[in-house]
Amino acid sequence: MNAAPVPLGSGGKELSKPPTDGISNLRFSNHSDHLLVSSWDKTVRLYDANANVLKGEFLHGGPVLDCCFHDDSSGFSACSDNTVRRYVFGSGKEDILGRHDAPVRCVEYSYAAGQVITGSWDKTLKCWDVRGASGPEHTLVGTYPQPERVYSLSLVGNKIVVATAGRHINVYDLRNMSQPEQRRESSLKYQTRCVRCYPNGTGVKFGFALSSVEGRVAMEFFDMSETAQTKKYAFKCHRKSENGRDIVYPVNAMAFHPIYGTFATGGCDGYVNVWDGINKKRLYQYSKYPTSISALSFSRDGRLLAVASSYTFEEGDIPHEPDAIFIRSVNEVEVKPKPKTVPAPS
Amino acid sequence: MTSLPKNHLSEMETTCETLLHELQVIWDEIGESDPEKDKMLLELERECLEVYRRRVDQSNKRRAQLRQAIADSEAELAAICSAMGERPVHISQSNQNAGGLREELKAIAPQLEEMKKRKAERWAQFLEIIEQIKKISAEIGHSDCNSADIALDQSDLSMRKLEELTMQLQALQKEKSERLKQVFDYLKSLSMLCEVLGFDYKETVSGVHPSLDENEGAKCISDDTIVRLECAIDSLRKVKIQRMQKLQDLATTMLELWNLMDTPNEEQQLFQNVTCNLAASEHEITEPNTLSEDYISYVEAEVSRLEQLKASKMKDLVLKKKTELEEHRRRAHIIGEVGCEAEFPIEAIQAGAIDPSLVLEQIEAQIAIVKEEAFSRKDILERVEKWLAACEEESWLEEYNKDENRYNAGRGAHLTLKRAEKARNLVSKIPAMVDNLAVKVTTWENERGTDFAYDGVRLLTMLEEYTILRQEKEQERKRQRDQKKLQGQLMAEQEALYGSKPSPSKPLNGKKTPKNTGVPNRRLSLGGAMNQHSKTDIAHSNRAIRAAKKADEMDTLSPVSRGLDIAGLTVRKLSFNATSNNASREAEVLRKPFSQVKPGNQLAPTTPVSKPLASIPADIEEENRPPKTVPIIASKTPIAAPSPSPMQVACTPAPVALKFEEENVKLSPEAEFSFEERRLALYLSR
Repeated sequence: MNAAPVPLGSGGKELSKPPTDGISNLRFSNHSDHLLVSSWDKTVRLYDANANVLKGEFLHGGPVLDCCFHDDSSGFSACSDNTVRRYVFGSGKEDILGRHDAPVRCVEYSYAAGQVITGSWDKTLKCWDVRGASGPEHTLVGTYPQPERVYSLSLVGNKIVVATAGRHINVYDLRNMSQPEQRRESSLKYQTRCVRCYPNGTGVKFGFALSSVEGRVAMEFFDMSETAQTKKYAFKCHRKSENGRDIVYPVNAMAFHPIYGTFATGGCDGYVNVWDGINKKRLYQYSKYPTSISALSFSRDGRLLAVASSYTFEEGDIPHEPDAIFIRSVNEVEVKPKPKTVPAPS
Repeated sequence: MTSLPKNHLSEMETTCETLLHELQVIWDEIGESDPEKDKMLLELERECLEVYRRRVDQSNKRRAQLRQAIADSEAELAAICSAMGERPVHISQSNQNAGGLREELKAIAPQLEEMKKRKAERWAQFLEIIEQIKKISAEIGHSDCNSADIALDQSDLSMRKLEELTMQLQALQKEKSERLKQVFDYLKSLSMLCEVLGFDYKETVSGVHPSLDENEGAKCISDDTIVRLECAIDSLRKVKIQRMQKLQDLATTMLELWNLMDTPNEEQQLFQNVTCNLAASEHEITEPNTLSEDYISYVEAEVSRLEQLKASKMKDLVLKKKTELEEHRRRAHIIGEVGCEAEFPIEAIQAGAIDPSLVLEQIEAQIAIVKEEAFSRKDILERVEKWLAACEEESWLEEYNKDENRYNAGRGAHLTLKRAEKARNLVSKIPAMVDNLAVKVTTWENERGTDFAYDGVRLLTMLEEYTILRQEKEQERKRQRDQKKLQGQLMAEQEALYGSKPSPSKPLNGKKTPKNTGVPNRRLSLGGAMNQHSKTDIAHSNRAIRAAKKADEMDTLSPVSRGLDIAGLTVRKLSFNATSNNASREAEVLRKPFSQVKPGNQLAPTTPVSKPLASIPADIEEENRPPKTVPIIASKTPIAAPSPSPMQVACTPAPVALKFEEENVKLSPEAEFSFEERRLALYLSR
């Protein structure tokens, strides 16, 4: 709230005491409006988004590339010092779950399996059992080689989608991790920035969205049948037309609305767009944020959207706007799907 | 009277003797003469006798009186007893010798008193009952009642009589209660009738009898009242039936009008309770005021309003029905008789020369006929549809085959390819289709004895024409093939002469070669002709169209009439291909679609895709296919688009199940880095 660079109400409420360096990810808790934020300033921060209060800070050995909640009182982080850590917010207790051979890029926690899944630039995926014994030998469930460095991970139910460099996509079933269930190439022609699974509610249309550095999002389906595959499509977004030329921005972040199944995308153009993937419509565009959107997260009831406006280094080390986190209350019209007005021509 | 008077007598006798002695003494002294003495003594004796006689007479009279009294009492007693129907008491004989007449009288007196008292009581009972009988009778209105006789006749006060009277009273009471019940029933039905008819119940009732009006108090139950009540109910019921029939007539009219004019439901809802009683019988209509004067006049007003509306709408209705008829005809591809306009002249209706309802009926009849005919034509028409669709595909295919760029991969090219494949398949079936159709039509014509006309043209003629055209086309094609061969030879010769091959000329897409296909136009079925020639005579316009068809003018019409047909899309695509042909070809050379992407090919650290590098080289943009001529939707205004805008969607290629082998991975140079990797490298280098 203090010294908000964006007028109040346009970008949402700005959280006080934001990270001092790039925000790598932020996530809402599944149980409250608590927000976990990982950042390049080597810390993971816990905020109460409603009260705009910084509730805890956890210092790491290097820039933190990802974080996620375990339950409401503890969480995990993926650190560039190759470690996977767990910490308990209340007590400040912190322990190392294990290590990769290279910086850990992503971390996800599966409630279904009770496992932490981490993806690293060491071209592996690792699963960790947090309920298990204390030693790292016991905690590690398995290591699964990937064709390339892992760039993004997403979980839904027992499915886990791994996006790596080289535009590889691997789909695993958590119950049988020995082999990928599917090996695919990204439908997009450029480097994958983010992958997010459709939330469970979408039924038969069960799949994931991919975003690339070239202002494009692809909607894909797990179902390999021809009928399902003909439904997949890609669309352009986060672009600007200037003097007859297109400026294309990377799409850094995506977040699905937990109730409506619509999704928000955030790009290096500083815009957040909301899309209706079923009716192929853009529902909303929020006013421009000071700098690139590095991460997005809807709260558990979909009423809040956390937006990390933080330079993502797409142009190297240049002066940039300060990092900020905005908490935006979501209006229903911004995210509720609108049925088609005219049937699309075949 | 036994001892005492005797003593008295003896005493008197002694006194008389002494007095006589004294008198004799006195007389002696006086010296009366003996005759004198005798005379005086005789007188004395006479006087005495006189006194006795008087006494006897007196007593005798008294006795007679007593006897009379006793007799009287006895008679009265007997009368009372007999009146009361009781056994008379015989006292007189038994008591004759007991104690004289006085005793007897004394004995009778109390009995008589007793009887009198009882009689009085009985009488009171009688009176009471009679009083009640009288009262009830009066209420009921029995003027001829015999209560008067009863009242006068005291001679019979027996218990039997009393019982009789009581019975009579009870009967009367019963009758009274029955009548009361009847009256109440009548009143109830009367009140219901009044309610339904909207009459004032109180007024009606007090008209029959004032007492009926009051809630409390006795109601008049006389025959007269009951009869009058019946009359009142009867008359009201008659009124009700009359009104009900009137209302039902109105409702029927109203329904007809509604039907005729498609009156909106909301308007109909207002009169729902009228129309719902349409088939109700008299006793079923019980809702208050449904038959009141006001309500009926209200409904009447509505009906007359509708009538007026109908009158004003009649023209519209006739027109509507007419269009309906034409629609039916159009669907069945039947041309109405010549002078369709004249059939139902609108002007005449407006002028009032013809009753519009008559015209309406006629049109309805026409519609029925057309429907029937359409049904018989249905099978053939379906086949015609199929044939026409096939012809359309054929013409499209021809057009498509002329397009040199048809195998260029553009957006949706695979769809067009698919369509062409289907079309070829379909075209091969056309001759069989035509033959089949011809057979069907011939049988139909034989059955009916008339020509099967399709939009006024005989279908058989159309089929023949098509076959001829087809043959012509076949010949033309053959000719062309020969010519091409000839040209090829010529070119080879030229090449031999000059050493170079002339570039094949591309047909200009903008200027299409005229379609010379034999596709019968879909004319009326598409409505295009109707729109075009709406004012002219239909039959004539058809001829005009046929003429036009031959002149190939309809080609310009067809894309319009087809609406958003795929053919239209193809045209657009083709023209696009013409403009970006060279560029896309270059793109093809750069990178084949769906080929394995080498990471090195993509995002070098200096890649132009990232933010500040404001422009993207044309070839990369081209590679991103849907080319830049397609507008990009990112809105210039940062605030939300007011309505959801469509995404810029493209189909993605079918997934290529990649088998990444180890060497493949090893092969890829570590040229591709994410922002984070570069950032970390910089971070660590510091």
